[in-house]
Amino acid sequence: MTETTVDATGSSPLLRAFAYAAVLAVSFVMLYPLLWMVSSSFKPENEIFSTTSLIPETFTTDAYRRGWNGLSVSFGWMFLNSTVIALLAVVGNLVSCSMAAYAFTRLQFKGRSFWFALMLGTMMLPQHAVLIPQYLMFLNFGWVNTILPLVVPKFLAIDAFFIFLMIQFFRGIPRDLDEAAVMDGAGPLRIFFKIILPLSTPVLATAAVFSFIWTWDDFFAPLIYLNDIEKYTAQLGLRTFVDATAQSDWGALLAMSTLTILPIFILFVVFQRLLIEGIATTGMKR
Amino acid sequence: MTSLALTGIKKSYGAIDIIHGVDLAIEPGEFVVFVGPSGCGKSTLLRMIAGLEPITGGELRIAGARMNEVSAAERGIAMVFQSYALYPHMSVYKNMSFGLETARMPKAEIDLRVRKAAEILQITKLLDRKPKQLSGGQRQRVAIGRAIVRDPQVFLFDEPLSNLDAELRVQTRVEIAKLHADIGATMIYVTHDQVEAMTLADRIVVLNGGRIEQAGTPLEIYNTPANRFVAGFIGSPKMNFLNVSVDGRAGEAVTLDLAGTKLAVRGIDARPEGLCLGVRPEHLDVGSDRGTPLGAMIATHVEQLGGQTIVYGSLKDRQPIVATLNGQKSVRAGEELRLTADLAQCHVFDAGGRRVAVQSA
Repeated sequence: MTETTVDATGSSPLLRAFAYAAVLAVSFVMLYPLLWMVSSSFKPENEIFSTTSLIPETFTTDAYRRGWNGLSVSFGWMFLNSTVIALLAVVGNLVSCSMAAYAFTRLQFKGRSFWFALMLGTMMLPQHAVLIPQYLMFLNFGWVNTILPLVVPKFLAIDAFFIFLMIQFFRGIPRDLDEAAVMDGAGPLRIFFKIILPLSTPVLATAAVFSFIWTWDDFFAPLIYLNDIEKYTAQLGLRTFVDATAQSDWGALLAMSTLTILPIFILFVVFQRLLIEGIATTGMKR
Repeated sequence: MTSLALTGIKKSYGAIDIIHGVDLAIEPGEFVVFVGPSGCGKSTLLRMIAGLEPITGGELRIAGARMNEVSAAERGIAMVFQSYALYPHMSVYKNMSFGLETARMPKAEIDLRVRKAAEILQITKLLDRKPKQLSGGQRQRVAIGRAIVRDPQVFLFDEPLSNLDAELRVQTRVEIAKLHADIGATMIYVTHDQVEAMTLADRIVVLNGGRIEQAGTPLEIYNTPANRFVAGFIGSPKMNFLNVSVDGRAGEAVTLDLAGTKLAVRGIDARPEGLCLGVRPEHLDVGSDRGTPLGAMIATHVEQLGGQTIVYGSLKDRQPIVATLNGQKSVRAGEELRLTADLAQCHVFDAGGRRVAVQSA
């Protein structure tokens, strides 16, 4: 026996060290823009584009002060707007998509497979194809420049992806449980609220987190529907730091960008386990 | 008064008929076991009684009232599922009280019923646990408890023991029999296990291909099976079916030829083709002076069970035959054994599989 150990995968320690180094290097390349953004937010304005170093020569939080208060509306207000819209979207998606998914998995109704196919079809439809008709519709409702176009549709189960995700999960809940509840005298609503929903926390958490992240990160829909700066979401607010005609405040932009990804980051860390469980049990891919 | 009456009950899925018109009357307090091979329709029949499957044709009456259109919860029925179907997120107590809460029963009454049922089933200590913290046997009890609290007229059991190990199965079987004796409700029990059927039933209903082959007490089914299917299904090892031909006729007496051995019987009127003689392995005897000689058997394989010796082999014309002998017999493979049997315990089946009543002549 020699001293060289070979692990279960059969590769030598040297080879493994090399592999780890390669993986780390690639990770660093991928993460560099993010790290650059965070470090630049603590640099004075003139230092941002003059160096590629990730360590600020002069450390300052001035950009945060400028970003938070520099616009005609406080950035905190935009944070609040984003939070309200994202939370309403989460509630809307959870309520409406879970009900739609329950109907598709457990209830018998006319044309069920037709409606199911139609719902799946909407997943294939690019957002941009429906943009103009949708805009005209909301314009006629008088909803443009309000948060209604961003929030109300979520309560009408428009996100076929979440419906599909929940359908996959509900299908995994044994039908015997429904039948036992039927023998116990429960109707479809009671079965939904008392049996199906409590057993679906992993998928509900997954849908909630993704719903929050996607709404929070959404730039396009708020850009289309929100005009007044008091109604801006954080993502729209970020854009106002970059001005094509006057001077752009890059430091403030990077500082506020850093703040904007913070909630998502925290959410992801906290719900990571539930997310993985939800994704694993539904076989989700996107 | 009958507790439950099925009249011409049918079930079809589209053009495919699953149950072809079942007639059955069940007395109050009776323990009826539906038994049959998988796919015979026994579970479907049970689910139709429960109200989980719509009835395609015929009428279901419970305590005299037509139930075809009545919802499952209002039929006065409780069901124990094969998978137990306990609600995983609820405690044992909640599992048992869920149905009562749905029925908006007062809290005090619910508590009384749950605790009483828990006491009967000796699961009082488990009331705060979740189903996943219970063993298979305990889950089984909770599932039965959930049925008991509703105080139903009829209990339905859908293969309730199939997920338990052998020892627990015997134990639970005894407990279900005791429970039936204690609460005296009508019970319908579905199983594919003929031992469960024989031990639990007041009456066995043998189903095959969506039809009732025979309904009767366990011993009726064992002693006078209506046809070859029932004869083969009940009893272990399976009944031997031996081809016989009619050799000669003298008045009422007919001589049957079994691999060269002549058997004189009475009761066969025409000169039928395709007759077969049914003999249960345990009714065969070896080297005995009593009984009718059935010829010689060549042993090919012997199983020693301690209390019994099972001999597999064949007759002179190579028809396979199995004999169960009492006690420990020293039989070796290749040995030739002289078989005898009491003809009164033998059955003759015609070409259509129906049992023909014959006596020895």
